[in-house]
Amino acid sequence: MKRFLQYVALTAYLIFLGFPLVWMLSTSFKPPRELVQLHPSLIPDAPTVNNYVQAFTEQELGRAAFNSLQVSLASALLTVLVALPASYALARFKTRLGTLALGWVLLSQLFPFVLLIIPIFLILREVQLANTHTGLILIYVVWALPFALWMLQGFVRNIPRELEEAASVDGATRLQVLRKVVFPLLAPGVVATALFAFISAWNEFFFALVLLKSPDLATLPVTLARFVGIEGTARLGPLAAGSLLATIPSLLFFAFMQRRLSSGSLAGAVKG
Amino acid sequence: MFRRLAAVTAAAVVGLGVLAGCSGSDPGDDTTGPVKLRFLSLAWQKESLQANKDLVAKWNAENPNIQIEYVQGDWNSVHDQLLTSFEGGDAPDIFQYESAAIGEFSKQGYLADLSSLMSSELKGQISPGIWDTVTFDNKVAGIPFLLESQVIIANKKLLDAAGVAVPPATGGWTWDEFQANAQKLTAGENYGVAWALKSPTNRVMNLSLNFDGKFFYNEGGKNVVKIGDAETAVPKRIHDMLYTAKSASPAALGMSGADSLPGFFAGKYAMLPGSVSLRQQMVEQAPAGFEWVTIPPLKGVSSNHAANPQTLSISEDSKAKKQAMQFLEYFLNPANMATLAKGDWLVPTGTKANEELVKLTQGKQGWDVAADSAKDLTVSAFQKVPGYPEWKTKYATPALQQYFANKITLDQLKTQLTDGGKAVLK
Amino acid sequence: MKRSDRATIYFLLLPSLMPIVLLSLFPLLRGMYLGFTDARAGRNVDVTFTGLANYQELLQDDLFWSAFKVGLIWAFGVTVLQFFASLGLALLLNQPLRFRGLARVLALVPWAMPPVVVGILWRLVYHPDAGLLNEVLYRVGADGLRTNWLGDFSTALPAVILVGVWAGMPQTTVVLLAGLQGVPKELHEAAETDGASPWQRFRNVTLPSLMPVIVAITSLDFIWNFNSFGLVYVLTQGGPGGKTMLPMLFAYEEAFRYGNYGYAAALGNVMVLIIVALLAIYLRRRLREANQ
Repeated sequence: MKRFLQYVALTAYLIFLGFPLVWMLSTSFKPPRELVQLHPSLIPDAPTVNNYVQAFTEQELGRAAFNSLQVSLASALLTVLVALPASYALARFKTRLGTLALGWVLLSQLFPFVLLIIPIFLILREVQLANTHTGLILIYVVWALPFALWMLQGFVRNIPRELEEAASVDGATRLQVLRKVVFPLLAPGVVATALFAFISAWNEFFFALVLLKSPDLATLPVTLARFVGIEGTARLGPLAAGSLLATIPSLLFFAFMQRRLSSGSLAGAVKG
Repeated sequence: MFRRLAAVTAAAVVGLGVLAGCSGSDPGDDTTGPVKLRFLSLAWQKESLQANKDLVAKWNAENPNIQIEYVQGDWNSVHDQLLTSFEGGDAPDIFQYESAAIGEFSKQGYLADLSSLMSSELKGQISPGIWDTVTFDNKVAGIPFLLESQVIIANKKLLDAAGVAVPPATGGWTWDEFQANAQKLTAGENYGVAWALKSPTNRVMNLSLNFDGKFFYNEGGKNVVKIGDAETAVPKRIHDMLYTAKSASPAALGMSGADSLPGFFAGKYAMLPGSVSLRQQMVEQAPAGFEWVTIPPLKGVSSNHAANPQTLSISEDSKAKKQAMQFLEYFLNPANMATLAKGDWLVPTGTKANEELVKLTQGKQGWDVAADSAKDLTVSAFQKVPGYPEWKTKYATPALQQYFANKITLDQLKTQLTDGGKAVLK
Repeated sequence: MKRSDRATIYFLLLPSLMPIVLLSLFPLLRGMYLGFTDARAGRNVDVTFTGLANYQELLQDDLFWSAFKVGLIWAFGVTVLQFFASLGLALLLNQPLRFRGLARVLALVPWAMPPVVVGILWRLVYHPDAGLLNEVLYRVGADGLRTNWLGDFSTALPAVILVGVWAGMPQTTVVLLAGLQGVPKELHEAAETDGASPWQRFRNVTLPSLMPVIVAITSLDFIWNFNSFGLVYVLTQGGPGGKTMLPMLFAYEEAFRYGNYGYAAALGNVMVLIIVALLAIYLRRRLREANQ
């Protein structure tokens, strides 16, 4: 009975959260006339692949997807690489830097980011990184770092110090302790961080719009926005087709990563 | 100093040897050699997108010395994109936008004055009232090329059933006739009209010229908001239709033009006042057997309404303004302008282009009405007032929304609009 | 602290420090400084230091303060609802249910969708004539409940809050789920042998170990929600009648539409100050509880 209720609750959650997938799928196969019905149907009366053809021939979605993938993967990787050691330092050593870092984390997330765009743009121009993917990746990393640092240091704090001390007594150096004991235990936190960095880069619109002026470099969100017109009108068919294709890589990436969310759990390590 | 330091650190951190060279393909200072110009276009409908790309490709093939790089933008983010690139000194050479928005950019000094660059031929094609919408402090900030006139799209079968005759393309209904007809078309659950007023202010400002309602007046060199009978005519009539005659649907108020289509096609609403470009949705999306007609702009004391033309501008920072203008002269020649207008279902500003378009389409699908409505479009005071965007967002839109939702009275609306004017136009 | 420790710290922090200083700290400080100037959009515009002039104006800006009130309701509403909904989902996804992997992926859909389509999608859900919500109400016979969700003065704010909850849930769920993995299993087992009910186990074992993660994610969620306006902008543009005008949207328009960079930055500074104060109270209480 309890299990049954759990399944009911889970189904309700998934319908609430996952229904757009069905909507995108259905809309992407509908011809324009079926998009303005008073009582829309789930299954198109006259399904068409025209939306996909239009989405791909009018805008270079393929290249945009490739650009996005490249930028997002690099951002996720870099974010984790940079945040992991830093979060450890912040969690384990009480320094004034720690307080400063906390202050910065809050500030950077709170201050209206629209006011930061112009100075950031100017700096990147100065170092010749405007209109490059490298510049964009750098911004995404810096942008994801507050979250990454904050979350990861919480996970580090959860690891009992005794574990590390035991390893040091066994003669392991500090770096060995980090690599062999601490980092494996952080796996779930790292996964959450990587996901966050990947998806925020994948979906980010404003910086990508402003920073990349060459059409060849454009990312997916910017390209998809071209199917939206004046005053909330949009070409729903091609937009849904493109959006569906833009949603899938993130989901695949997560499907691949989610198994790690449960591996390397702390309890097992303490026992071993 | 700090900036320089920051730059060096950044280069070190990033560890990229890109500092030297590869500074992109900025067009050089010399304006005689080959140049490459960026053109930010906002075309988004299938046909106009194709028309834009075709014209650029044709130009590039014929003019190896002036190459145009076609860059696609979108209407929702173009303002942020332009403002940022202006500030960063990285703006496109040529860009598409609308007259209501470029005034501010022009006053901020970001736009080239086109008056001395363009040919008299191009100038003569477009009426002075339309040129007024893009002229700020005697500088021409852009070339107006597409017009959005306010017409009424109606369900022909419902009109016939209610015995309402379709007026000829050259002369539309008066507001009184329109309201009476809306009444005739209202029955049970179905309304005569859907006023889709998601963005109420621009619509009200545009239509108020029907009654000579200007909202903004110049008193001793200062702009003030004044609300008299001319200004309240349109809001009051819409309000009457919503709550007194009940011939307009209150649910449609928060909709955009496109939102009202499902109800319109299902016969829930008999008439949609809106942009001429709605005709495109009629052609593409109306169910089989649905008959629609285009009814010309309404008449108050006149059929005048405000034009907010789409424009093409050149950046002040562009290094090849002359060449950019050469391209624009080609891009907007009568034949091309007609093609562009057809692609977006809008009215071309050029008289010859308009004639050509009527010939091309034989006046079908409402093109006769569209062509004739061009003469009704002119400049309204609000388009020239700095601070209009602020007045609109902070005061006018909330006040109109409250009035149309029947939360405040007409007098309260007047007070809010006037007080807002005082707060903004200091 | 040993010297080698100190060296380790700086070595560990260095990679994150440089880009942060350059691309975050410097623009931030510059942005905050603008709040004390009369900076405006324009080509070759001179900027002068004006001290507190912006703040004097701001104190009398009723429109901003009413937006601020809406912003607090929005941020509190979304964060609290989001937290409870996500906690429930995370606990479910942590159970050994079948198709758990698939469920975890599906729960992420709102997060994975391109933002540009999210607003459009929800406009269609709330559409008065052909919207999904009204259609469902119609089919279950609750026709009287059909309304113009985004256009009605009383439903507009709750309607956008629901979208906010929906959009932010996956992120919170993932974090809580990762946090749940860190709850020691043998504590649970020990409590179970002592005869603790599931609720007692949750209250006394799960919740305390999860507390640091909860504190972190709710604070961040609150900040993010307070800061986000893109979605609401697409849905209602602050309407009807200013009912959904968020303070960040207000600041954005001040900067990007009217070109008042200085005043917008001042608004930003004031918001930072107030939110930091609110968070300080929250964090202090929470951390004290957690340390007990």
